[in-house]
Amino acid sequence: MPSVMLCRVEEVACGTALRVEPEGLPPLAVFNLDGEFFVMDDTCSHGEASLCDGEIEDGQIDCPWHHARFCIRTGKALTFPAVVPQKTYAVSVEAGEVRIEL
Amino acid sequence: MRAGFRIELASGEAFTCAPGDTVLGAGLRHGLGLAYECNAGACGSCKLELLAGTVHEVYPDAPGLRPKEREKGKRLACQCVPLEDLRIKMRTGADYVPAIPPSRRTARLVARRAVTHDLMELTFETDDAARFLPGQYALLHLAAPIATRAYSMSNVPGAAGEGRWQFIVRRVPGGLVSARLCDEFTPGATLELDAPYGIAHYRAGVMRPIVCVAGGSGLAPMLAIVRELAARAEAPPAFLFYGGRSARDVPDLAAEIGAADPARTAISAVVSMPGLASEEHPLTLPAGLVHEHLARSLPGAFAAYEYYLAGPPPMIEACVRMLVADHGVPPTQIHFDRFF
Ligand SMILES: Cc1cc2nc3c(=O)[nH]c(=O)nc-3n(C[C@H](O)[C@H](O)[C@H](O)COP(=O)(O)OP(=O)(O)OC[C@H]3O[C@@H](n4cnc5c(N)ncnc54)[C@H](O)[C@@H]3O)c2cc1C
Ligand code: FES
Ligand code: FES
Repeated sequence: MPSVMLCRVEEVACGTALRVEPEGLPPLAVFNLDGEFFVMDDTCSHGEASLCDGEIEDGQIDCPWHHARFCIRTGKALTFPAVVPQKTYAVSVEAGEVRIEL
Repeated sequence: MRAGFRIELASGEAFTCAPGDTVLGAGLRHGLGLAYECNAGACGSCKLELLAGTVHEVYPDAPGLRPKEREKGKRLACQCVPLEDLRIKMRTGADYVPAIPPSRRTARLVARRAVTHDLMELTFETDDAARFLPGQYALLHLAAPIATRAYSMSNVPGAAGEGRWQFIVRRVPGGLVSARLCDEFTPGATLELDAPYGIAHYRAGVMRPIVCVAGGSGLAPMLAIVRELAARAEAPPAFLFYGGRSARDVPDLAAEIGAADPARTAISAVVSMPGLASEEHPLTLPAGLVHEHLARSLPGAFAAYEYYLAGPPPMIEACVRMLVADHGVPPTQIHFDRFF
């Protein structure tokens, strides 16, 4: 299974998100929730907003445009106007690098 | 007083904002496609970042903006009146470019008609022609005390030059503006009418069959669309779904559509609170929520239709969720106005 390196762990502080643009993939959002890393598509399933610009609260990301909320762990669309989940990725951390498995 | 303030977008475009006008109104009048939906401070679509200058906020507690966003210099363009020249960053898009740029004029009430016990049709006249697309809305500005609310037109723009604007207003218990419009506005009364606004308008070029869903006062823009279809020689078939609380909340829909070809628009209504039936208004309609009724009765593949929805936010949400998440309807085929 190919794995893609997205960033180093120290680039994403606890409770924040980092937008990365790996080659051949859509822009991705890397979240750090209390030291655990999660990755989903960065572009909101509702519009064109970058979720990394939103607020993180209670394990959820609040879209900066129309305030749809997604579960950071599962990508589930929790509130309107988003009704389609965000695509999430399997994450691994090796030698200080955040990687996703494709 | 100055003729206005200069508003410059980070992308380079610039426009003049007349004294007292909102950033959103002024930009759309200039023909720019500034992102927006409700014009009421509720949806957050018109968010801007204030890079330079100061504004007066008409509705500082507007729910469309989070306190944290305000701290970061974000504002709602529909609720911002500039106090000096501004530099802003804001989303724009071709979908938002107004086909008919909005403008303000005085409108005079000429007729009132009760549609149901709490829906009132109000007909206004203006000196200039009423130009709007079916499904669009106007901002009605009332004086003393000053208040602005959005109301959708229920008529279709008439013969060239005719300045006729019809609205269907639901009297909201304790509501500031709706109660004044329904109870105090009598023929001869005037207000300022700023229109047209709204992106959930009828798409004339799309030939897919049409589904209109209205809840409560959402009737007005859906009637405008169905009336427009009736007036066209070549229009796709249409379905009108209406949801009310009880039988007395459901208007005589066939009569409201009027001159329409009844064979072309299939009408159905449901009531969400069948327990409210009375001797005077017995339960003659199916009970349920309008999105459930639609899911049960719309024939064929749901993705084959173009959808127009108007009404209370929970109804819109349930419909869109059902259509997109359960039936794979592309969101681009769904146009809605949430009546915040
Ligand atoms: C796009 C759109 C189209 C609409 N079309 C229709 C229609 O065709 N028919 C109809 O009956 N209703 C319609 N509405 C709802 C209508 O605009 C009013 O919200 C409703 O009539 C209740 O207003 P009210 O003043 O009576 O009630 P209130 O309870 O006094 O006010 C209700 C709403 O006004 C807004 N508001 C409150 N305070 C302020 C403030 N200080 N400044 C600015 N706004 C404030 C809030 O959005 C609030 O939800 C529409 C709403 C929208 C957004
Ligand atoms: S773009 Fe994210 S909620 Fe609309
Ligand atoms: S909040 Fe301004 S358009 Fe909805």
